[in-house]
Amino acid sequence: MTTKNKEKWLARNTFHHGEFWDIIKLVKEKEKKGMSISLCIPTLNEEKTIGKEVLILRSELMERYPLVDEFAVIDSGSSDKTLEVAKNYGADVYLASDILPEVGDKRGKGENLWKAIHQLKGDVICYVDADISNIHPRFVYGLVAPLIKQEEVQYVKAFYDRPLNYSSGLRSSGGGRVTEILIRPLFSLFYPELTNVIQPLSGEYAARREVLEVIPFPIGYGVETSHLLDLYEKFGLDAFAQTDLDRRVHRNQTTNALGKMSFGILQTFFNRLHAQGKIDQMPDMETFYRRFEVEDGVYSQLIQEVIEEERPPMIEIEGYRKRVLPT
Amino acid sequence: MTIESKIREDSLGKILKKIPEQTERLKSIRETYLTDAVLLGEIPSPTFGEEERIRLALDRFRENGLDDPEIDEFGNASGILPGAEGGSSILVMAHADSVFSAETRHVLNVGSDSITGPGIADNAIGLAAVVGLPKLLDQLGVKLKDDLLLLANVQSLGRGNLEGARSFLETKQRPIRAGICVEGATQGRLSYSGLGTLRGEITLRIPSNYDWNSFGASGAISHLTRFINQVMEIPVPKEPKTKMIFGGLRCGSTFNTSPRRGSLRFEITSEDDAVLNDMEKQVSELCEQFSLETGTSVDLEVVAKRENCGIPFSHPLVKTTRSIMNEAGISPNVDPSTGDLNALILAGHPGVTVGLTTVENLREENETIQLPPLYAGLAQLVSLLQAIDLGLCE
Repeated sequence: MTTKNKEKWLARNTFHHGEFWDIIKLVKEKEKKGMSISLCIPTLNEEKTIGKEVLILRSELMERYPLVDEFAVIDSGSSDKTLEVAKNYGADVYLASDILPEVGDKRGKGENLWKAIHQLKGDVICYVDADISNIHPRFVYGLVAPLIKQEEVQYVKAFYDRPLNYSSGLRSSGGGRVTEILIRPLFSLFYPELTNVIQPLSGEYAARREVLEVIPFPIGYGVETSHLLDLYEKFGLDAFAQTDLDRRVHRNQTTNALGKMSFGILQTFFNRLHAQGKIDQMPDMETFYRRFEVEDGVYSQLIQEVIEEERPPMIEIEGYRKRVLPT
Repeated sequence: MTIESKIREDSLGKILKKIPEQTERLKSIRETYLTDAVLLGEIPSPTFGEEERIRLALDRFRENGLDDPEIDEFGNASGILPGAEGGSSILVMAHADSVFSAETRHVLNVGSDSITGPGIADNAIGLAAVVGLPKLLDQLGVKLKDDLLLLANVQSLGRGNLEGARSFLETKQRPIRAGICVEGATQGRLSYSGLGTLRGEITLRIPSNYDWNSFGASGAISHLTRFINQVMEIPVPKEPKTKMIFGGLRCGSTFNTSPRRGSLRFEITSEDDAVLNDMEKQVSELCEQFSLETGTSVDLEVVAKRENCGIPFSHPLVKTTRSIMNEAGISPNVDPSTGDLNALILAGHPGVTVGLTTVENLREENETIQLPPLYAGLAQLVSLLQAIDLGLCE
């Protein structure tokens, strides 16, 4: 993809939730197209935040504006009051282990997302993590709107503000630590086009059923990465869109937890490289590191050449050998 | 008993009879107003910084089908739900400001039976009840003859000095039959009078040319301590009921530097305006005397001052409110208001303040409202509206 095409893709497929504030209009378009939308929250011990998510999303997007047709919490076997609280505020609650019992039960977020495809009926499934402290209806309508409006879009990812540099008037629009340290360098090396996805690991996304049902789901940390790699392989970058949902407040993870997460992601990543023949026939590696910045609401990619040149072992250098070796 | 009073009694009886059913119904539709409470409550809204919360209140007024939703020149949001006859209006108001600063993390936690977070009780839940009233009335099948004038008022607390409500009432030229001020805290509250109040901030400064040898090497903390002791010597009468509260003290920032400036925030409330004026004079004279005796500069700034006002305990509005509370299983707790009710009554409108639910940790960051009592608290509000609408409170 040329730089110009990348810019076009960014301009065409990158949205801000504010563009979709008119929910009544979205509901009308959805109904006109005969679409149905299911919302799924995967949970494991989320009693502190689940009540608010169910309350606000159900009340605003099912009762006030009928944008969402079905709302389910799919749980991995919480030992706290997650299920009780979610049920109390009107969510349909399922245990992942009860869905498709003949395929067995594996424990992980990806399992819940995968089983949601079977359990829920919507043409579009929107997944929202359960640990968002500042939950707001935009977390859902911002993601399903591009699918309602643009038929070619199959999969919409969220991204968020992470303001790091106020003083210069510029804010970095990077992802979390794992995104910046692991995913973006890997994508820059092997899948440069996918670096257009601003926050590849965000836990909120919406997709059409027909694309969700044709890709495998890692059970653990690799599920977001695998979605991007598999859908990119099958449908190309044009199948993706992304929406700026402003700020997301959630609990911070320890470095240890992020290490574990990275390990899971790397497994998924190398599995794909292997399956796509990129390990056996390793292509020339890219030398351009790609990241984002935003200024006045316009996102642009910063490309930086990073060539990891190497020096040979010192012992191979004649001058050194002359100095240290006896003549 | 006259025929007219018999009719009134029967009408009130019908309203009271419906309270248990309304309470249950309000429980079953709680998502509507609890969502508003959370969305409104998560927007920081310190006094003088209420714009964003007010914008959401206005959006809700609009979405709930009110006529003329608007933000006035003072920053208040209001709208009208037209009544069947519309000859006069009933005003229902809640203040939109909160004691918490914009820097406070405004994240609310929703449990099965409670909501916790800064400002949920004072006054996000009260405001949510006001903005959600049109929907609640619709869902309860209640139609009023009077217009319902809904107000989310700004600048109520602290230095706001009721300015939002006062300005609205001064400029909104509508015949108002009665008003209800809605507060989250605390269920059972029944205010029908506004207490005379004086709020002041005393600032003590040590001038740059202060003669440390003549006056002793003491910083602002020592001076302020001595000054407060002298203020505490001012007699506070028990009759008429009078109270002085020291609400805030600021001075110094470290271990080893004498501060040159300090301030004391206080409030005096009294059932007698003359006592209030006299105490203000005494505090003011003390400031002057202390300044001269110590070479410091002590200034009194009166931040807010309100005179006593109210309607009698025997007023039909108060009497009806008590009957409704009793029927809803709420024990009335008569408590004079220092809030928006003063502005309402001083503008010449009969009014009461009611509280919606039980509250823990009021005005702390873990402020918590209990949900089970809330439904009866809202039923009390709806029933009171119906009673006012039928002319039972005049």
